Amino acid sequence: MSQFAQSLSNGKLGRRELIKRFGISAVAASGLFGASKNAYAKSAPHVVVLGGGVGGSTFAKYLRFADSDVKITIIEQYPEYITCLRSNDVIVGYHTLDELTFNLDTVQSKYQVNVIIDKAIGADFDKKTVTTAKGQVIAYDKLVVSPGIDFKFEDYEGHSKELAETKIFHGYKAGPQTLALREQLLSVPKGGTAIIAPPQNPFRCPPGPYERASFFAEYFQKHNPTAKVIVLDPKDRFTKDGPFKKAWERLYGYQTDNSLIEWVSGSDGGRVLSVDGKNNSVETMAGTFKADMINLIPNQRAGKLAQILGLTDASGWCPIDRFTFESSLQKEVYVLGDSTIADAMPKSGYSANSQAKVCAQAVADTLRDRPLTKSVYANVCYSLAGDNYGVSIAAIYEVRDGLIQPKGKSEGVSPITDKPAQPILEAVYQKNWQREFVKDVFS
Amino acid sequence: MQTSPLKTLIAAVSLMAATHAHAEPQMATGQAMAWQCAPCHGVNGQEFSEAMPPLAGMPVKQFMDAMLAYREGTRPAVIMDRVARGFTDEELNAMAQWFAKQPIKPWEQTTLQESLSAQQAGAQAAGEKQ
Ligand SMILES: Cc1cc2nc3c(=O)[nH]c(=O)nc-3n(C[C@H](O)[C@H](O)[C@H](O)COP(=O)(O)OP(=O)(O)OC[C@H]3O[C@@H](n4cnc5c(N)ncnc54)[C@H](O)[C@@H]3O)c2cc1C
Ligand code: HEC
Repeated sequence: MSQFAQSLSNGKLGRRELIKRFGISAVAASGLFGASKNAYAKSAPHVVVLGGGVGGSTFAKYLRFADSDVKITIIEQYPEYITCLRSNDVIVGYHTLDELTFNLDTVQSKYQVNVIIDKAIGADFDKKTVTTAKGQVIAYDKLVVSPGIDFKFEDYEGHSKELAETKIFHGYKAGPQTLALREQLLSVPKGGTAIIAPPQNPFRCPPGPYERASFFAEYFQKHNPTAKVIVLDPKDRFTKDGPFKKAWERLYGYQTDNSLIEWVSGSDGGRVLSVDGKNNSVETMAGTFKADMINLIPNQRAGKLAQILGLTDASGWCPIDRFTFESSLQKEVYVLGDSTIADAMPKSGYSANSQAKVCAQAVADTLRDRPLTKSVYANVCYSLAGDNYGVSIAAIYEVRDGLIQPKGKSEGVSPITDKPAQPILEAVYQKNWQREFVKDVFS
Repeated sequence: MQTSPLKTLIAAVSLMAATHAHAEPQMATGQAMAWQCAPCHGVNGQEFSEAMPPLAGMPVKQFMDAMLAYREGTRPAVIMDRVARGFTDEELNAMAQWFAKQPIKPWEQTTLQESLSAQQAGAQAAGEKQ
């Protein structure tokens, strides 16, 4: 037992004395608030978090690390959270949705976070209150918003929310969408075609559509070898395109006559202009494509809640202070994750988790009038180009010239080598990462 | 790579001028940087049953030797060479001091209280406030 813990258990030091020696957080953490279930004092500031996904849940946990004497409440609309991470695996049967389903129970019990299952529908920034669908009005000292993304169906003629829920699925929020895509994939007839149409930048999980294309190809290779995946892309480049295309060459005959994947770039007319749900076809600059399934992943903007709260700018995303993730449009309101304009950081779970930690420290320091420390962020996106073939992109980030930029010479994608062990190891690490990541977020 | 103190000062001053809302501090805390490693190495480096090795309780010298070798490219790596190139010697040292103080046991078996004490000990070892 440390000397600190010993003095505490002997009850030798008074609270005032403890605060003087160890700071307020140490005292609160020691359970000196008697039999009270909560570590924090009644007068503790209240930090309210809207959205208990990757950003929101990580934030609540790490705010507890940064300050034990603060009241934390998460308002999340659903009792369970299904991770998008590895949801591509569910489409091809490498994972089940159950394995990707989590809740906020541990965050609530271990980190003393109040969890309210309800939908946030508005806020009064002058009165500093949040309103929920069930009619609760909750007061905050600091508000944190991490609502994910929203889709721009209107960018495609003939497309709609209804069509996206009945036939032309996106599979970009995990759950029923994921299972619907699985059903469609399994129903592609012999020699059939699956279309994947990725969105314009910026969008959630930049490697997601290309990992999905790889998985579809791998699935066809095993179960339907004359079928084919066509990627209709509005862009000429995509993240990790070097390692992805190399993997496609090695695994799926990419750029041969028998290739299981065909990728149509923006310059070659790949951008989807309109969708015909009845005929299962899409119109592009390069002509009409008919397919047995169409996975159109629409262009995106910040989550609806961020729009309702007026936290978005003309770009549709939320501008933030690069050091703290405080909204540039609303004082004492912080935005995290996919909804934000975070410059070089991609819209990934890793980024949301990283930003949440920096923000938690900044909120704690601000509440205690402590000077802020420098902000360092990280992101690593692992993808599978096949069940046993991993590719990655990584960087550490700092704020330079007013923008979040890669720090040092950290930025880089998997090198393309002749070593067969490299992609196999990356696949092992990828699976390791996913298990570790959800623990960091939810437990 | 170590930046010279003068360069750091100039950079800090120009940043302050650019953003003025914040007096840009010199360095992130060891703790704040170490938290960024959790998605791979476990919460506070306390994952002991995966391919990515644990960092909790690692002796400072072992940590520094590994990170410097990754950064200079003298130790084979799949991902850590990229990660290590993001940090200066000073930053690596702050993380090394912090990780050395984290308990050598799985996160699931560590109480919040226990961890808060260990994190505070880490911050003190790294010579930081708290
Ligand atoms: C197919 C796919 C694969 C992916 N794979 C990876 C990967 O391997 N690695 C990686 O790092 N990232 C991956 N991602 C990206 C990752 O899922 C997101 O970047 C991450 O979830 C963003 O976190 P967030 O907090 O911004 O949003 P979310 O995690 O979506 O959380 C938003 C939360 O807010 C809640 N919410 C929204 N509105 C309200 C409201 N009004 N009231 C209450 N609650 C509300 C939602 O219910 C949700 O729980 C993948 C994404 C996809 C689509
Ligand atoms: C994306 C996953 C990932 C991230 C992020 C990551 N690591 Fe690692 N780390 C690994 C892997 C994998 C190895 C094994 C070497 C390799 O393959 O690169 C490793 C090895 C190490 C080792 C050597 C351990 C030993 O026992 O010799 C140290 C030290 C280390 N990492 C420190 C860190 C620190 C500090 C951070 C955060 C700044 C960090 N790592 C972030 C994946 C990661």
